[in-house]
Amino acid sequence: MSEALSVSSSSQHANDQRRQSVKPHKKRWRHDNWMGYLFISPWLIAFFAFTFIPIIASLVLAFTNYDVLSPTWRWVGLENFERMFTRDPRYIKSLQATFFYAFTAIPLRLIFALAVAMLLNTNRRMVAGYRAAYYAPSIVGGSVAVAVMWREIFGRNGLINAVFGTDVAWLGNPNTAIWTLILLAVWQFGSPMLIFLAGLKQIPREFYEAASIDGANGWQQFWRITLPLLTPIIFFNLVMQLISGFMVFTQAFVITGGAPLDTTLFYALYIYQRAFVSLQMGYASAMAWVLLIIIAVLTVLVFRSSSYWVFYSSQED
Amino acid sequence: METVSTASGRAAVRAPRSVLQHKTFRTVIYHGVVAGLGYVMLYPILWLFASSFKGRAEIWTNVSSLIPQQFTLENYINGWRGFGGITFTTFYLNSFFYAGVGTLLAVAASAVVAYGFARINFTGRRFWFACMLSTLMLPVQVQIIPQYIVFSQLGWINTFYPLLLPRFGGQAFFIFMIMQFIRGIPRDLDEAAEMDGCGKGGVFFRIILPQITPALITAAIFSFYWTWEDFLSPLIYLNAPRLYTVSLALRAFADPSGTTDWGAIFAMSSLSLVPVFVIFILFQRFLVEGISTTGLKG
Amino acid sequence: MRHKFWLLLAVLTTIALVFAACAPAAPAAAPEAASQPAAGGDGKIELRIAWWGSQNRHDRTIAVIEQFEQLHPNIDIVYEFAGWGDYWTLMSTQAAGGNLADIMQQDYARLEEWVSRGLLAPLDDFVADGTLNFANVSESSLAGGRLGGKLYGVNLGTNSMTIVIDADKLAEAGLETPNPDWTFDEFERVATELHEKLGIYGFTGNLTNEQLWKNIYLSLGQWVYNEDGTGLGYEDDQPFIDYLKMVKRLQDAGVTQSREQEIAAGGSVETDLIVTGQSAMTYVWSNQIVALTSAAGEGRNFILLPMPRPAGGASANYLKPSMFFSITSQARHPKEAAMFIDFFTNNVDANKVLMAERGVPVSSEVRAALEPLLDAPQKMMFDYIASIESSVSPIPPPDAPGHADLINNVYWPLVIDPFMFGQQSAEDAVRILREEANIVLAAAAR
Repeated sequence: MSEALSVSSSSQHANDQRRQSVKPHKKRWRHDNWMGYLFISPWLIAFFAFTFIPIIASLVLAFTNYDVLSPTWRWVGLENFERMFTRDPRYIKSLQATFFYAFTAIPLRLIFALAVAMLLNTNRRMVAGYRAAYYAPSIVGGSVAVAVMWREIFGRNGLINAVFGTDVAWLGNPNTAIWTLILLAVWQFGSPMLIFLAGLKQIPREFYEAASIDGANGWQQFWRITLPLLTPIIFFNLVMQLISGFMVFTQAFVITGGAPLDTTLFYALYIYQRAFVSLQMGYASAMAWVLLIIIAVLTVLVFRSSSYWVFYSSQED
Repeated sequence: METVSTASGRAAVRAPRSVLQHKTFRTVIYHGVVAGLGYVMLYPILWLFASSFKGRAEIWTNVSSLIPQQFTLENYINGWRGFGGITFTTFYLNSFFYAGVGTLLAVAASAVVAYGFARINFTGRRFWFACMLSTLMLPVQVQIIPQYIVFSQLGWINTFYPLLLPRFGGQAFFIFMIMQFIRGIPRDLDEAAEMDGCGKGGVFFRIILPQITPALITAAIFSFYWTWEDFLSPLIYLNAPRLYTVSLALRAFADPSGTTDWGAIFAMSSLSLVPVFVIFILFQRFLVEGISTTGLKG
Repeated sequence: MRHKFWLLLAVLTTIALVFAACAPAAPAAAPEAASQPAAGGDGKIELRIAWWGSQNRHDRTIAVIEQFEQLHPNIDIVYEFAGWGDYWTLMSTQAAGGNLADIMQQDYARLEEWVSRGLLAPLDDFVADGTLNFANVSESSLAGGRLGGKLYGVNLGTNSMTIVIDADKLAEAGLETPNPDWTFDEFERVATELHEKLGIYGFTGNLTNEQLWKNIYLSLGQWVYNEDGTGLGYEDDQPFIDYLKMVKRLQDAGVTQSREQEIAAGGSVETDLIVTGQSAMTYVWSNQIVALTSAAGEGRNFILLPMPRPAGGASANYLKPSMFFSITSQARHPKEAAMFIDFFTNNVDANKVLMAERGVPVSSEVRAALEPLLDAPQKMMFDYIASIESSVSPIPPPDAPGHADLINNVYWPLVIDPFMFGQQSAEDAVRILREEANIVLAAAAR
């Protein structure tokens, strides 16, 4: 494939340079260091000025019994962490709900987003209108109105029961409540869709033209051109959906509040409840750091796997 | 869609007479499926808009209908009135300011930082990149209070500083996203340009920037929307009602223990979708034109 | 070419800086001084007030603030408001940052939590020197704001729970209006008959709400929390077990909604099925009558009754302060804050603007002045409070500091829902409540 070609040519190029001379390379390397830090300096400055302190503070608080309202706190060592796994039945439920959500909503959302992006990556008439219609749900957000809207649609006399002729309390039934939230997530698939669309637009049309001359059909083009060239974007979407999937908060916060039977008690919602309702900020911070570790481990796994399936046109190291 | 055209092209070789029929049939199917699904996608939003035109007496007694029995604009008038003389005009101006400047800062800074991470091989790159991604993994709920204490020590409560200044560093989501787009661009062009004496800055502006337009547009659409709907930072830092944003004002309508004007909530919620939608419509045009016309030749 | 890059970078940075610099000034002309509520340069005192509520409450409160400012030109009031949930997030954050307003609206369920952390200031000195004048306020209306003998909150309106009955449905079923001192047995009978005769729900209020748990023990002359808030305050679990069994019977017979449907419907007054005539009874707080009747529309007839009680018990109702104004210990101008609270409580013109939106006013003079101005739902609310005033149980002490934690992390997820979904017996549910409550409450009361 042409993309494979470009990879080998660029690494060839780098090798040539390396062989040619060592000294200029070293100089260039130092120059790169300088330029690299220059380019990322806005982020570095903002990070140390605004993000670093709160992060460290929350790490420290994870080992205390800080309750927000009292100005003082006591060091409790690992007690918060121990309590999470041994004495908090709700914590285990929140883990279950979050993992279930993440492993269903994320793949569904990504597949749906990619399918629709492919469907809308065309120059037919009305496509702009369709694209707007499909994106619209994603801007509805998490306002109070959404909670009421979703309740009505899944309510007794709502759309879903009317269409399927059922009488199910979708949001109150422990078996179905989480699915309504998953459906909401899939319904709001606009952001990964848009990123896929932008990615599809970036694939040079020449590749497809060349492939059709070679007699590749649509299906073959999808597998040989679209998918491989889209892998950096799929990878990005996967990582980001993984992170945001585990941090899911708003929908459960405004619609279910964790009910019924804690089946929609997402991890971040539970953190919020512990932090601001029960005022156990120390405990909430400990939970937050465990979540960070869970997400980080999964993200590292995805990154490790990426060398097997993600293809960069600009691969070099 | 290329897949479709080649498929019908092959059909043409086999049965020339059915070409037209075949193509029309496919078009009909396409529009049928896409429009039908689109209706399902839009139904909840239609419901929201319909409810916003229903009168007080009807809003909870005629809930499931998409057509108001009596069409009224009362909800919009009551809602826009806002609170104690501070109307939604103020809230919209605040939101436009926050979302507009916030987006500009976030996207511009993210592009610069993304180039640094994606194309320059400096020591510590992996470490800082990991740090950046990690900031996305810590729930904001436990960072609110330490952050508030920092900003209140700086005397920045009731200003936009706590909301906008952090954006000078870009936002991790966009940095990573733009990085992925940059890495999809073959390096040959950069290297050629560098051979011609272009510095890193030159490469960024001349070679990279034109090619990542779709990514930048996408980032701008998201950033605008996410900033528009953000209520947590405005809640914590913009305490004076004159500084409230639309999303924050919307949340000040409902009180579970008292009287809530749901009509006004539906009306203002519907209205608050409009700017975000308009931004999307305006920008998505560039998204379509984007790279497909410029191709690789840049 | 490198030259050009630096130029562009510089331009970009400048643009961004300029934007950020005009940030606070740009659209809204932000008062940067608002964050330093000290005396301004012109000798004006800046007073900060915070409350939660809906649009209606914000409008009325702001109008009263403007009235007060006109009377006191040297005081400038800065206010902030939010919806219920956001309000507490914001207040906790401000408390942690040492940046609380002078006056904050407080809730009965949170009062002790805040007092125990030393965040609220006692008001007794202001009562003694007459800044807070309670000549027209009965001691029983003030009692709710007292903790350990000190006054920490001024009651902004009186509330009590009430059963709302659709009078037309009652007549249609040929039933008499129950007595105000009805018991749970009579309640069960009426609800069941309404359901059987009309084929609609007999009752749709959430019967497992913790308020009803509290009501049971109040009626029996006890209280759910012990005096120092470290554990449960009652010994006998049987009344609550009997009650839960009744609730389950009603649910199983279809007289009330199933727990699933209850959760799916959500908790707002406007979506109660009594609004659409699919239910004959529900319960609300007395100030919510206004919201309920307005959602139900014209031409409806509702009767208000006190809450039912366990057999042999006293009234299951008490007069609850709907909310308080408290002065925070971080207040910069406590004296002026007290003046404002006094104005809010006693001034007739101010209360004509407020129109009992926070519940029935505590001042008898204000009540008398408002009486002729009330509309029908408001009159219902006033009449209801007046009718139960003499027979209610004395107000229980404010909730224990661990209350929110108990309700959120024990009562619903470990006690009520597993019981209502048939996963545990009433006996087990109540036993778990006792075990867990003692742990949670003791931990919070430290």
